[in-house]
Amino acid sequence: MKNLITKITANALLALTLWNCNTTDPEPTPYESGVYVINSGNFLDNNGSISFLPRNSSTVITDIFNAANARTFTGGVQDYTEIDGKGVVLVDNSTAGQDKIEIVSTGTFKSLKTLAAPDVENPRFVVRTGNNKAYVTCWGATGSGANFFANPGYVLVLDLAAQTITKRIPMPKAPNRMVVIGNEVYVGSDAGDPTLVVINTDTDELKQPAVTVGANTNPVAVDANNQLWAYSGATNEMVRINPANKVIAARLKVGGSPKSPGPFAISADRRTVYFVNSFFDSADNFRQKGETYRFNIDATSIPAATPFINRLFIGLGVDPQTGTIYAGITPSFKQAGFVVRYKSDTGVLIDSVRAEIAPSRFFFR
Amino acid sequence: MVKKNRLWWVLPIFFGLLTGTTAFAQRELTQRDSVTTLSAVTVRATLPERFLAGQKIQRIDSTTLLQFRFGSLTDLLQFNTPLAFKNYGPGQLATVSFRGTSANHTAVLWNDIDINQPNLGQTDFSTLPVAGFDRLSVQYGSSASVVGSGAVGGSVLLGSAGEWRTGIGVSLGQQVSSFRNNQTQLGVRYGGSLGKSWQLSGKSFAYRSQFNNDYPYRERRNYFVEQSQTAQRGLVQDIFLRDKRGRQVSVNAWLTDNDLVLTPQDTVAREQTRTQSARLLASYEANAITLRLGWIQDRFDYAKGNFDLPSRTRTDRFLARAEREFTFWPGNSQVQTVLRVGGEWSHYRTVTDGYGGQLITENRQNLYALLRVQTPRWLVSANIRQAYVTRFNPPLTPSLGVEHKLIRREKLALTANASIGRSYRVPTLNERYWQVLGNPNLRSENGLNMEAGLTATANLTDNFALTTDATAYRNRVDDWSYWNPDFGYRVENLQLVVAQGGELNTTLTYARDGWQTGIRAGYALTRSSQQRAYNVYAQDIVGKQLPYVPIHNGTLNAWIARNKTRLTVQTQASSRRYITFDESQYFKGIVLTNVLLETDVHVGSVPVRVQGQINNVFDTLLFSVKRNALPGRNFSINLLINSPLIKP
Repeated sequence: MKNLITKITANALLALTLWNCNTTDPEPTPYESGVYVINSGNFLDNNGSISFLPRNSSTVITDIFNAANARTFTGGVQDYTEIDGKGVVLVDNSTAGQDKIEIVSTGTFKSLKTLAAPDVENPRFVVRTGNNKAYVTCWGATGSGANFFANPGYVLVLDLAAQTITKRIPMPKAPNRMVVIGNEVYVGSDAGDPTLVVINTDTDELKQPAVTVGANTNPVAVDANNQLWAYSGATNEMVRINPANKVIAARLKVGGSPKSPGPFAISADRRTVYFVNSFFDSADNFRQKGETYRFNIDATSIPAATPFINRLFIGLGVDPQTGTIYAGITPSFKQAGFVVRYKSDTGVLIDSVRAEIAPSRFFFR
Repeated sequence: MVKKNRLWWVLPIFFGLLTGTTAFAQRELTQRDSVTTLSAVTVRATLPERFLAGQKIQRIDSTTLLQFRFGSLTDLLQFNTPLAFKNYGPGQLATVSFRGTSANHTAVLWNDIDINQPNLGQTDFSTLPVAGFDRLSVQYGSSASVVGSGAVGGSVLLGSAGEWRTGIGVSLGQQVSSFRNNQTQLGVRYGGSLGKSWQLSGKSFAYRSQFNNDYPYRERRNYFVEQSQTAQRGLVQDIFLRDKRGRQVSVNAWLTDNDLVLTPQDTVAREQTRTQSARLLASYEANAITLRLGWIQDRFDYAKGNFDLPSRTRTDRFLARAEREFTFWPGNSQVQTVLRVGGEWSHYRTVTDGYGGQLITENRQNLYALLRVQTPRWLVSANIRQAYVTRFNPPLTPSLGVEHKLIRREKLALTANASIGRSYRVPTLNERYWQVLGNPNLRSENGLNMEAGLTATANLTDNFALTTDATAYRNRVDDWSYWNPDFGYRVENLQLVVAQGGELNTTLTYARDGWQTGIRAGYALTRSSQQRAYNVYAQDIVGKQLPYVPIHNGTLNAWIARNKTRLTVQTQASSRRYITFDESQYFKGIVLTNVLLETDVHVGSVPVRVQGQINNVFDTLLFSVKRNALPGRNFSINLLINSPLIKP
């Protein structure tokens, strides 16, 4: 009996101590370390979401924004990045005037601020460009057919401390992907503009002249030698640019017609670029067909002959901590997709995890 | 080729039946003459109402039609039937799911002819205002044998009705609502004798609606409200002529024009959807023969940014139908046996940008025979239909239905019913002809529907009446077409869908000392799922509830009235609706309540019906399928003026 009382007392004391520990600790952040899966959702359903996948688990936590805020994004999720404790989510609704940028607290995903139209229209990509500072590319409202890119587009400068838009930098046409090198941001486009626009992140001004590469060029990544890789759609080439003097050091054809590459991901050591090479087969009901390849940054050609992974993905990412390859599969836009993990060196399958609708990008933290 | 031969083999027999003056027909004529005076005031029942014994038909009463005089068909059906709607927003596309089927599986008939838009094979219910028709019934379950293609989940039956009164009456309606929305209706009804033996009844009716949807808020509970404007116009023209021998000639026309603009303020991204339809029907009924000639034109334009360059769809349908009815053994008062045989020819002409812009034509023929046998206790119908369509032929579709009066006492009537029938759906023009994605090799879907039910009517006391019905059904549809992502999003006959469930309805009314009160409650259970694992990822969707089909659905209408004043509470509730095929995402269940108070006031000698309406009383957050918030609580005031009949 005495023993029991001792046990109860001890347990109570222990519980009290633990409770005290809990109350003095900062609020635990449920999504502290792991992978954010960006599910773009289905057009018109406006059901994009972000799911959280721990590195050592085979189960995702779905729609973490909804779990934290009791509401969904209400749009396709275009991109996500984190800047000094704040997450920036780009949400693209199927109707003009309803796009937005959600600023959340990292780790908890609690919404801090929503930035909406007319500032935010067709947001595409977001990058960190300094302390509490982000750039967001926006297309502006789009039309249809030949008039699709009716507006030139712009880059929004966000101040994450004040959670405001501080500047709107006009762009030549449909700004798209961005890569940051030092105090410069390279901005690509899919709308026929032949240049990579360069923005000085200290002054938020365009640097002249822009780097002329060819139509539909988008930056991909910075490699281990601090060289910028970009993909030029018009010529189907990977282009290596020296950011110091803006000189194009190499132009390498990727595979051959009818396939074209993308999405891309760079390895943890920044020496290997992985890419999906695919096409829509007109002889087979326009099924999308393709495989995943890789090339070394020192390569002199990219034959895309022997697949690294003999499978087509719509999303591709490499975990900079572990080197693991994360790939997204979309069976249809009306059912959950899968995240498939592979070893980066051998391409051996690790596992397959059910995510949400169209897992197309990954953010590693 | 084999099937085509069958058509040529069947046709002469059919036309022989139609034109031949058989002994049956002679007898029928005699019978008809004798009952003409009685039938003069009755509304002619539609084919589904007469020949689908054993299947549930819900007639929407005139009080309800009047309450929704300024509403769309979506609103009315949502609060009074278990039909589930996929609603894209106020004034935007609204498609139906009837008993767990898709939008292509509900036939919408207007005066007995199918008015589903043939390119899409469905109806946008937001474009059909309740003001455009006089009668509305909802027929549950497959009725392909009577209705034809697409009547798989059920049918919505709209119709015009002649009012055989002498004189001229003018009606005027005006609605003013929240969000700067307004509607106007103007109509004239006229009737009288034409010569010695003919009588005329006519209606000319025009309506216009302007939904500015000028919401005072941009978002509701952090969900955006979508900006849209809709302008609606319509014209109804009905002429009925009949003579003392029971011959009737009628001409019905219904023109609708629906102009929807999304984000009107943005000249680059704004989207316009213009839906225009002209429906014209001429009918002749006499001596057990019915002839109909129809022309329906559907125009559909979609434009983004520049509205002068829309993507166009133009489809014309020309229709001719002939039916002949034979009454067997007319002298036998215990057993009434009626056989109706008919044939329909329709010619489709479409010019659609998405098909390449060239003219595409096709013919569809139908031959059918409908048999109805009625005794004091039994009602049996047996029907059969064969359709013949350019380039492919659907299956033969028979059906059999039975109703049996188990109890027929003065205070209590109990009827049991059962039916079984095959159904089919001719692929839509889009499914076959759309460039790249269409599939000319599609087969007809085919289904088998079974149902059984009980209906009870009880007069519990002199003031207290109860009607209740319960139905259970199972509808299996094979070769269900599906835009398959694994097939480059082309449409394929891929899925097998089984929908099963039941409906329960109860109406209780109490009337005493000028007071009337009542409650009408409906509940529907709908389990509808895809059953075939046709590829590795289909494993995830087998057995899962189809998207946008709530498993539980309920409606509750309660009212209290004294003389002409009436207070009505309309409530509709449904359980969660999945938005994906694998049940991974859903919209939460909803409860939506409207309140309507109406009364008659007199301005001079003119009675004016005044209705005050509060929609979404509890300001519930509801979503369109695009996940945008639907408007919150809103108000409208309706005035309906019906001038007294001016007699010549």
